[in-house]
Amino acid sequence: MVSIRTVNLTKVFGEVVAVDHVSLEIKHGEFFTLLGPSGCGKTTFLRTIAGLELADEGSIYFDDQDITDMPAHLRGTGMVFQNYALWPHMNVFDNIAYGLKIRKVPKEEIRRRVKEVLKLVKLEGMENRTPHQLSGGQQQRVALARALVINPRVLLFDEPLSNLDAKLRIEMRAELRRLQRELGITAIYVTHDQEEAMSISDRIAVMNKGRIMQVGTPKEIYKNPRNEFVARFIGQGTFIPGEVVSSGEELEVRLESGKVVKAVPSHPDVRLEVGDKTLIMIRPESFTLEPGKRYNEFEVEVYHISFLGDSQMLQASNEVENFIIEVDPDLDINVGQKLKVYAPPRHTLAVKL
Amino acid sequence: MGQAAWLSKLLRKIRWEMDTFSWSQLIIVLASFTAFLIVPLGLVVVRSFYSSSGGFSFYWLQTILTDPFYFPLRLKLLNQFPFISLEGIRGSLYEVVKYQTAAGEETIVLLTGWDMGVIPNSLVVATFTTLFSTVLGFTLAFVFAKYRFPGSEVLRIVSLIPLLSTPFVGAIGLKKMIVADGVLNVLFYDMLHLLPFKIEITGLPAVILVQTLLFYPIVMLNSYTALISVDPTLEEQAINMGASGFRLFRTVTLPLATPGVEAGALLVFILSLEDLGTPIVFKGTTAEKVLTFQIFNRIFTPAGLISQEATTLAMILLVISGLVFVGVRRYVSLKKYAMLSKGGTWRPRRRKLSPAITLLVYIFILGVLFFATLPHIGVALLAFAKQWGPTLLPSSFTLDNFAAVLSDEEASRCIMNSLIYSTIATLFMIVLGVSAAYLVSRKKSLPGIEALDLLVTIPIAVPGIAVATGLFLTYLGTPLSPTISGAPLLIASYTVRKIPFTVRAVFSGLEQTDKTLDEVAWTVGASRTRTFFSIVMPMILLNVLAGGMLSFIYSMSEVSTGIVVGDANHRDAPMTWKMYDMLFHGLAGGTFQPAALGFLLMTLQFIFIVGANLLLRKRATALIGV
Repeated sequence: MVSIRTVNLTKVFGEVVAVDHVSLEIKHGEFFTLLGPSGCGKTTFLRTIAGLELADEGSIYFDDQDITDMPAHLRGTGMVFQNYALWPHMNVFDNIAYGLKIRKVPKEEIRRRVKEVLKLVKLEGMENRTPHQLSGGQQQRVALARALVINPRVLLFDEPLSNLDAKLRIEMRAELRRLQRELGITAIYVTHDQEEAMSISDRIAVMNKGRIMQVGTPKEIYKNPRNEFVARFIGQGTFIPGEVVSSGEELEVRLESGKVVKAVPSHPDVRLEVGDKTLIMIRPESFTLEPGKRYNEFEVEVYHISFLGDSQMLQASNEVENFIIEVDPDLDINVGQKLKVYAPPRHTLAVKL
Repeated sequence: MGQAAWLSKLLRKIRWEMDTFSWSQLIIVLASFTAFLIVPLGLVVVRSFYSSSGGFSFYWLQTILTDPFYFPLRLKLLNQFPFISLEGIRGSLYEVVKYQTAAGEETIVLLTGWDMGVIPNSLVVATFTTLFSTVLGFTLAFVFAKYRFPGSEVLRIVSLIPLLSTPFVGAIGLKKMIVADGVLNVLFYDMLHLLPFKIEITGLPAVILVQTLLFYPIVMLNSYTALISVDPTLEEQAINMGASGFRLFRTVTLPLATPGVEAGALLVFILSLEDLGTPIVFKGTTAEKVLTFQIFNRIFTPAGLISQEATTLAMILLVISGLVFVGVRRYVSLKKYAMLSKGGTWRPRRRKLSPAITLLVYIFILGVLFFATLPHIGVALLAFAKQWGPTLLPSSFTLDNFAAVLSDEEASRCIMNSLIYSTIATLFMIVLGVSAAYLVSRKKSLPGIEALDLLVTIPIAVPGIAVATGLFLTYLGTPLSPTISGAPLLIASYTVRKIPFTVRAVFSGLEQTDKTLDEVAWTVGASRTRTFFSIVMPMILLNVLAGGMLSFIYSMSEVSTGIVVGDANHRDAPMTWKMYDMLFHGLAGGTFQPAALGFLLMTLQFIFIVGANLLLRKRATALIGV
């Protein structure tokens, strides 16, 4: 189990800066996720950690050891690829045992450890199957077993679940987390699926265009986005541009409609002064239909309703702005209905532009 | 960025990508190609500018270019229209010869062609061969790719038959067909009375005919692949917008298929230019007056050294083919047609034909196939013939020719030599070819790796006789001298000249195996070397085998170096030299025994090429094309 630290890690492909001065610290035994749209550099970052790409600038440390220029095969990482990457000319046993044979582990022990790890990933008795006889989910488990069996210092996951169907994906997600916690291995996980990232991670780094936008627990990232990218990328919300007209503990923001709302900075680090342009963000569940003390009030007309079982999502507008509002599933609301909705100032977030 | 920083960054990158194993792979490839291709060809160029005293001089180039034998063409200004005339062309396209026979007067039209001197002749032959091969090959490819008719798949495969033999063997067979009392005249003049006179094709036209019949499949394969790779929706789009018929063909189909057609045509041009086998078979006619034959004919001075004249001619041949290669490559790569590289996963658009048109298509295809199979049928018949006068078929058949060849001590030694040299060369080609293909496929980010790719592909465009000349210039008088043993230079020549077949097969295998399969092995602790042997090699084994088979069989049928080395050292000569030797210096058997040898070679070639293609199934089309 190691901690991982990168300092100004940079990787350039031709004209494209895939990873742009990324400095991160990943703690012992942490499940750390890189989340971002495709092409944001998250996979390149992971490959650089694995030693599959050479960093152009910056360094990588496993604990205090600088491994920036260390070849991949000496790093002791276990990696699970998006396409599983099982060797077609070997059966399940040989695929998993390969790393142990390289380490000159005695034959008996290899047999025992492969058996153990197959039990761990729930594939007992599949030793003699060839990869093409396995389903996608089983292939993924073999790939995982192959990475686990060598007792890696770090587990690296490159979108490992994206080729599985939705139901299996959710099962495997929990499975992965359980295994990682049981074995206590530091893990870096790459995905573009925010729900997956939220449900599996201790901490998440949101990436865009090679840069880290924000690092935090899933809760922090959802509740306190640091900038517009994170605010828009994570979850849903109502976004209204405006200008700060009074600052302090609580802000007053004038919206384009002329209306003034009370708000708080989206993140403790965000400083907003009078005259700054800002973006008001309100999560759907922050709206209520009950007026509260000093709550911001909006008058809207509902134009679409999505019934989700445990809630209903209303899409509504006041001719200038669009709103997404979550309401009680039992509430009787019709398209075209006019509503007054309220948002408490502490959930009316002013995002720095 | 400062120069020092840039350099240290580059060094770091190289250190990262290249471990000891990769270095050894790179070094053996570079060393072999330097020693047996770059230095020899360099010497050909350098030596052609030596004066007799050893200094730099244009003497030989000037001598050759002003010698009417090599370059008689002169432009002359005139006082009247068209104000300019080209002089120095000798002979005429055809001659009419009449002679008396017992049956009365007979007329023979001799198709001899003009003689414009050695250098223009080579270019004219290559140009016409390319033109005819392209028209024939493209038309066939178009018909097979675009129309549906019964038996099209079988006919398409049959029309690839000429790929199964070399011009040298094919020419022996075709010669028997096209002489005055040959099979075609027997059939069309004597028997069917379709011709008003006999036709004999000889000299340069015969060379063009042989080459066209043997090379059109190269254009056909490339064109066919290009045509079926064109996304049918592109054509459908054009039809939607109102294009149809010839307009559709001219504005959409043809431009999209052009790179494939051009690649095939380029290869044919260079193969024609470097073909030595056909001119040799038609020795004694104007067919001799081409660059390859002249180099071959005067490579040794009476003192046993390499003549400067031949060296300079080899330089000229090398420069011409180099210019053609570079020119066309640049032109083709300028136009990037992305959809071509992907290959088709769609069903190509194929039209059904009306019965009348189908009949015409059959007549065309069967007509082509009739002529295209003539060389091979000719060789086969000659090989089994006991006697064959001016008749359609040999008057009697026998196995004696094979018995004679196999019991001839020298002939069987030559066959053994060929087998041994080709086997050893194939082992070298596999080691070097796999190394080169691996580096090119897996280290794409390394600066300069494209140069390695070019180095191992370019031998396909280097005339064999130029390589032979260069190897002699470099190694005569050294321990590798062919006068000591023919083996080293022949093996070296086979290796550098035929390696593109291995490289291509292995490279396509590597491109089809995902790089993450290598990478995952590194992450679980396997070094690059270990990954190469335990992961990469097992996955591309079939490709290695198929590539090796092709390289082997093309080594067996190599002509240029083989004949030159064989002439210098009969004991170590290969099979192709023995065919040549029997053809012109044989005491008995005439063309029957060389044809028997040729038939053996052809059979072997058939087995290996079909075998290699079966191993690779559908991927095979890429193997023979450029």
